[in-house]
Amino acid sequence: MTEECIARIAEEKKGLARELRFFDASVWLGHPEGFPLAEEMVPDDIKQVLTSRFITGGLISHWRGKSLSAQQGNEAVLQAVRGKDKSLTAIWTGLPLFPAESGLVPGIVDVPGEVRAVRIFPKSHGFPCVIWCMGSLCDWLSARRIPLFIWHTELDWPSLYAIAKAFPDLAIVIETQVRKILYHTRPLFALMRDCRNVFVELSNFAGQGFVEYAVQEFGAERLIFGSFLPVNDPLVAIGMVIDAEISRQEKGLIAGENLRRLISEA
Amino acid sequence: MEDKFVIDAHLHIGPLGAFFLPQTEPDDLVHLMDRLGMSHAICMDHLSIMEGCGAGLDNHRERFERSKGRVYYLGVFHPLRASACLAALDRARDWPGFAGIKIHPAMHRVQADDRSYEPVWAFAHQYHLTILTHSWSVSDYNPVQRLATPDWFEAYVNSFPHARLVLGHAGGRGNGRGQAIRMVNEHPNVYLDFAGDIFCHRLIEQLVQRVPVEKILFGSDFPWIDPRAHLSRVLLAEVPSAAKIKILRNNAMNIYKLGLSC
Repeated sequence: MTEECIARIAEEKKGLARELRFFDASVWLGHPEGFPLAEEMVPDDIKQVLTSRFITGGLISHWRGKSLSAQQGNEAVLQAVRGKDKSLTAIWTGLPLFPAESGLVPGIVDVPGEVRAVRIFPKSHGFPCVIWCMGSLCDWLSARRIPLFIWHTELDWPSLYAIAKAFPDLAIVIETQVRKILYHTRPLFALMRDCRNVFVELSNFAGQGFVEYAVQEFGAERLIFGSFLPVNDPLVAIGMVIDAEISRQEKGLIAGENLRRLISEA
Repeated sequence: MEDKFVIDAHLHIGPLGAFFLPQTEPDDLVHLMDRLGMSHAICMDHLSIMEGCGAGLDNHRERFERSKGRVYYLGVFHPLRASACLAALDRARDWPGFAGIKIHPAMHRVQADDRSYEPVWAFAHQYHLTILTHSWSVSDYNPVQRLATPDWFEAYVNSFPHARLVLGHAGGRGNGRGQAIRMVNEHPNVYLDFAGDIFCHRLIEQLVQRVPVEKILFGSDFPWIDPRAHLSRVLLAEVPSAAKIKILRNNAMNIYKLGLSC
């Protein structure tokens, strides 16, 4: 093996990554909670890394929306994207609509145009992920075609199944952070089989053959590229897409077309 | 073999009840190796990790031969089954495909400096073998990881200098990383691999800056982790191509003494 061969293989991978126009569901501002070696990035640094990793844009979140409060996280991420180029739009943090809380809470106030999705943290924010508590928010999101994002570490599977069934027009994106989703593949795949409105994000969807399995069982339309930058290297999830044993068209859907479609309906 | 050059130096074989995996078998592995340009792999089966190598070494030897010498193997030393494991290791140490020893203090729930490991270190020292260990950081959600933080290995590393130690997972995603880097820099017989879900941004670039590149090995943790999650981040890392060749192939050949050519 020569250095020239390595350089050639690298160029081929770069070429495919550029063609696929990756669009990222999981980019984060603020101090990463629970990842002591990860370094916080400012928006300009994030843009630079995304460009260098062949990512055209995506949805940006703020750690403060989990670790401090929904309202302060929503304010911070809105400030970061407002008035900037449109390649990055925001995910806000959501709460149950009752009891009604003041400040920038989606459903209590309308979401601005820069916000294209809502994420909930039921376990961290002290509410159950069940219809009698979450139903009004799900109704509100569903009516506006705003997708709901949730980390798998924040949910319980029977409750999410009930919500996905009760709100079939609500797109629910299960995110594979903040630990690998490997230990939960049995309920995840059963849920995806039964609920076509459930999607899975890729940043830690890293078990052997998961991409091919999910494409075969559920269709490429159900997979959403996400990097979890700046904790993770975007090349991890990019590598799983560009080297997958699926068609070029399916790679394009996963890389960015699915997410662009989801948020364009919002 | 120029089209296949990568050596995956840390992977597993076989199903595991704790979760569903669509691809875990040797045929799945060889198919993947062919697709990804992997010439060789170094594996351990889940059965041996759970019960010690007496249970799995014969299957490994057969697998090595069936793969035409591509799938090397390690013998797992379980400290609570020390005598049986040592006997099995002694029987296998000259077998074709035998590449060294695996220990897993977190899985076996015996801290890495415990005296029950001494026989296997003495064995590795006597025969100049490589030990691959699981290593991680102190974890609030998985407390047994504290048994395998890199510092715990230091006394044995000092006592048995002819044994080579590979710190699997490079000490994990927290305080173990710094310990692993220190150990690799301070001890000529300590190395690291980055198998597993340590997907940290710019990890490859940081490792190349902080430790000698000859001490970094490519490993995936198949089937827990798909090798494709690691391969592109190495091939596209901002490090010289010569370093990538060492990480992806040459270092595994040298550290595990595989008897292959560059």
